[in-house]
Amino acid sequence: MPTIAIVILVLFSAVLAGVMVVRPAITVSRAGKILAFGVLFFLPLFSLVAGMDNEMERSKSTAFCLSCHIMDSYGKSLHIDDPSYLAAAHFQNHRVPADEACYTCHTNYAMFGTFKAKLGGLRHLYVYYLKKMPLPQDIKLHEPFNNRECLHCHLGARSFEQGATHNADPATLPAIKSDTLSCVSSGCHDVVHNVGHWGDKVKFWDGGS
Amino acid sequence: MRSADSMNRRLRISGILAIIGLLVEALCLVWSRPIAFVVLVCLGGALIGLGVLLFLYSLVSGPTHPTNASGVSQDKR
Repeated sequence: MPTIAIVILVLFSAVLAGVMVVRPAITVSRAGKILAFGVLFFLPLFSLVAGMDNEMERSKSTAFCLSCHIMDSYGKSLHIDDPSYLAAAHFQNHRVPADEACYTCHTNYAMFGTFKAKLGGLRHLYVYYLKKMPLPQDIKLHEPFNNRECLHCHLGARSFEQGATHNADPATLPAIKSDTLSCVSSGCHDVVHNVGHWGDKVKFWDGGS
Repeated sequence: MRSADSMNRRLRISGILAIIGLLVEALCLVWSRPIAFVVLVCLGGALIGLGVLLFLYSLVSGPTHPTNASGVSQDKR
């Protein structure tokens, strides 16, 4: 449901609740009781659930993640004009949905992954508003990046399964699939956002979305 | 009569809580900041929840139908 529709529903519910505040005596009749149940029980709870669902969906958007200014550099890193930057290459080539770029890679594709991602988001809010904020380049992942998140899309893809580097050693591919060799380990896809290490020569691509 | 008044008062308070909670929710929906979700759940959700609970309480604590000597509700006669 679009946000504007939910806002209208919420305001409509508030107006009806206002009627109950002004005329509580209408609950004397059977119809009034039914109206009161709808206005003071069903509609507020329905509006709350709809609003929370809308916020949860909005929290997946790239714009939402980048609305905290500490994330500015990470947002900027998506536009670096260099294919060796993993995040930029995925974002610019739409290997991930551009409007949900952060969430697509940083969610957890296991059971309750979305819930864990939201919980992580709440921790970010806690640090952002109540603790001393780290510098952008000092931000670290809560836990090492799991290959599962990459394999969610790449597993079975020809470029991954038959990639020359992935097959140079017969032990490499099984190690990647079992998460014993990280995709972002040194010498592989280790240039991800690299905030704070761009240097002066980095260029930005301002096309696309 | 007094219990009807107290029920009306509870309905009023319940409605006011629901209205404030809904207005908080509406503001959060148009306020595109990460903190909006927390405010929506913690403040809006709490106010709406309190309003709903008070409404339910007013139902169970409201005036009962007058009964005759045999205990049969007048509605059923």
